[in-house]
Amino acid sequence: MSWLRRRSRPTDPLLADLCGALAPDRVRADGAERSLTSHDASVFDGGVSGPVCFPTSTEEVQAIMRLAERHERSVVPRGAGTGLAGGAIPLGAPIVVSTGKMNRVVQVDLENRIAWVEPGVINLDLSKELRPKGFHFAPDPSSQQVCTLGGNVANNSGGPHCLAYGVTDAHVLAIEVVLPDGQVAMLGGLEDEPGGLDLRGAFVGSEGTLGIATKIAVRLTPNPPAVRTMLLSFASVRDAAQTVSDVIAAGVVPAALEVMDQRMVTAIENYVGAGYPTDAAAVLLAEVEGLDTGVDIDVARIDEIGRANNATNVSLAGSEEERAALWKGRKTAFGAVAQIAPDYYLHDTVVPRAKLADVLEQVYEIVDRHEVLVLNVFHAGDGNLHPLLVFDAREEGTLERVHAAGAEILRASLDAGGVLSGEHGIGVEKQHYMAELFADADLDHQNRLRQAFDPACRANPGKVLPMGHSCADIQALREVPTGVWG
Amino acid sequence: MDLKINPDDLNSCVQCGLCLPHCPTYRVTGDEALSPRGRIRLMREVQDHDAPITYEVSEAFDTCVQCRGCEPACPSGVPYGRLIESTRETLTKAGELSARRQKLAFGALAHPRILRFGSTLLALAVRLRLAPKRLGLPRNLPLRRAKHAASGDDIYLFTGCVMDAWQRDVHHAGQRVIEAAGFGVTPTADIAPCCGALHTHAGLGDDARARAEATITALSVDGDRRPILVDSAGCGAAMKEYGHLLGTPEADAFAERVFDIQEWLADHLDHLPRVEPLDVCVAVQDPCHLRHVQRAHTATRTVLEPFVHRLIELDDDSLCCGAGGAYSVLHPEMSSDIRARKIAAIERVSPDLVASANPGCSMHLAGAGVETTHPMELIDRALHGDS
Repeated sequence: MSWLRRRSRPTDPLLADLCGALAPDRVRADGAERSLTSHDASVFDGGVSGPVCFPTSTEEVQAIMRLAERHERSVVPRGAGTGLAGGAIPLGAPIVVSTGKMNRVVQVDLENRIAWVEPGVINLDLSKELRPKGFHFAPDPSSQQVCTLGGNVANNSGGPHCLAYGVTDAHVLAIEVVLPDGQVAMLGGLEDEPGGLDLRGAFVGSEGTLGIATKIAVRLTPNPPAVRTMLLSFASVRDAAQTVSDVIAAGVVPAALEVMDQRMVTAIENYVGAGYPTDAAAVLLAEVEGLDTGVDIDVARIDEIGRANNATNVSLAGSEEERAALWKGRKTAFGAVAQIAPDYYLHDTVVPRAKLADVLEQVYEIVDRHEVLVLNVFHAGDGNLHPLLVFDAREEGTLERVHAAGAEILRASLDAGGVLSGEHGIGVEKQHYMAELFADADLDHQNRLRQAFDPACRANPGKVLPMGHSCADIQALREVPTGVWG
Repeated sequence: MDLKINPDDLNSCVQCGLCLPHCPTYRVTGDEALSPRGRIRLMREVQDHDAPITYEVSEAFDTCVQCRGCEPACPSGVPYGRLIESTRETLTKAGELSARRQKLAFGALAHPRILRFGSTLLALAVRLRLAPKRLGLPRNLPLRRAKHAASGDDIYLFTGCVMDAWQRDVHHAGQRVIEAAGFGVTPTADIAPCCGALHTHAGLGDDARARAEATITALSVDGDRRPILVDSAGCGAAMKEYGHLLGTPEADAFAERVFDIQEWLADHLDHLPRVEPLDVCVAVQDPCHLRHVQRAHTATRTVLEPFVHRLIELDDDSLCCGAGGAYSVLHPEMSSDIRARKIAAIERVSPDLVASANPGCSMHLAGAGVETTHPMELIDRALHGDS
């Protein structure tokens, strides 16, 4: 009978130590429960993890790191588990450090436009709390309603509005970090120009391979006085992409420039009915922010440029409700595809803006050749492509075709002078493509930086740097004796 | 172990995690095991990989409030309610969940006299301060109840079990409002004493189906097609899902006759006289089963708007208040943690009072000192004064 059943006492020495350092109910070792951390929101599944810990303070994270060192185990930090590159999945039965219970907004300093937050704070929660006070946190990943700021820092996350405001890196001033040896370091500072090497900059985007952030000082952005949201329809994706390129070239910097192709728009309309036209080959969602007169001028310029590129329709959201609906549609795009097929693989590459149209044409050609369905939705202003391949993994051979098409898309982006990832990170997904973007010397230097923080390679091993270039990852990923986590 | 979940339902989850912030137990614990995505993964581990039902696994299933806030948030349309109901029913039958202990108490729900007698004893106990505090019972449980009286046969007003014992005044207020709109009302009272919603949530599927069948039979005599208005969001949601519960054409036909009382009134608002609105600012608390299951929450605003000075929205994305039928009694700690978030959201907008269309929510909030009233009571007061 379950009500007679109690949590069993740990017999494993690591588990007993962890239970002693945290409260026993914040260390989980049950097999089924540990399986919950074996995946994130990507198609990658790690093995079963070691114990899952829920620290509530920096001191507890330190204690976990020290125990990991003593027991020679690796450590993987985990926020909401919504990553798309397998960055938070466990390899080699590591201790998982969940930031779920470190979710306090510690301090808000409106005068200096800074907030200190714990890593488990949900991105949108912070902005919601600040908005009535006149501020928000600018990076707005599409998963912002669930993803955590710790995860944003780990992946240097972007979002539609990062075109004007910059990605996470531009909004993080200082980070309190627990290093793999258990020491606490403060990286960066609240001053405008902190002295010394920019270790904060190295940490942002390091995907948990340098340590665990336990407190983050984020920059607060004032809410814009005026916002205008435009919707432009086009008869071809090329026209939409060209418009984006021309708008930026004309010196207009909108807050967001998002393109969606017809298949994507149709999926969104079936899902939430956001008000997008389903008869256009592509739509461009453009948002400008600033002072009233300024945004009106920007709107006129974008209108003009759109029409010069054969826009079939240009409209302005007439109300806050209309604007909110358009954004809701855009931000639920990835969810909407679930109506089409049970599985999806969301890619993330960046190409020079001027090459957008060419690369997109290649993307369509590649997926057609591999008989895979693609929907396109992307941060066009940044040249950040998000080809979304949808499929049913239960059909034999499908996953292989999806991976083959994905690899070709990535190569096409690199050939066009692009990079591997815009905002989802490298994780395990793109690790083996690193060598195609970086020379051996580059990778060795990256590895040396990593080793300076984490000589024993205990922090999220097996991620980001390719195997040949990553210190002692192979040792950290050694087989865990059978029976330990049976 | 076969949880008797349809594999297609289980596989429809793509593990995107968008449900997490909409789950009250995840919100207060930050624990994936206590989230919809986590619980679904655990169902897979049990059903597909034969994972044992350990303390942790049964806790995960047991602590779900079944608010179903995850359903509208889910892009893949995972039928989470069906998944958790199947899981709990299978595990309860196997003796793995605590619901067996509740079976006796729930048995009384279908026996109105026993229920009312017990309820009166409880009301006395509360007044004498003998009732355990953790039950969080309001001080003003009624010792007496005015009798039900039919005023015509246009419409049924479903009065239910616990609500009829504890909040009969709400039924009377609702009846007066419907009568003011020109319709004759028959309270169902003891002819259909319990809809079976609490049984469904507890995993007592057989009892739930028996209650549903009894309710359908009692209210469908001689081809009776009268609309059935329900002023308890939890009961209304369960009755609208009879078709799924029983899988019969009769149950489908019955479900089509069921309306939340606000939902029905919103379509008949022009029948009510225009009166001076009450001078109160009212915050609307959406009961989960009205918003996420019936998806009829906008009606509450439509019907209240002409009768009160101002309506205020809460800013917490309508996260559950933690009442969850019997949940607040079975999981008092988790329930009050969840409630604390709701109370904070209410305090941020400082209303004169809170309107809730579900008896469980209003009692749960009242237990924390929040003045809570049913929308029908407000409309009744606006129409007829405080008498």
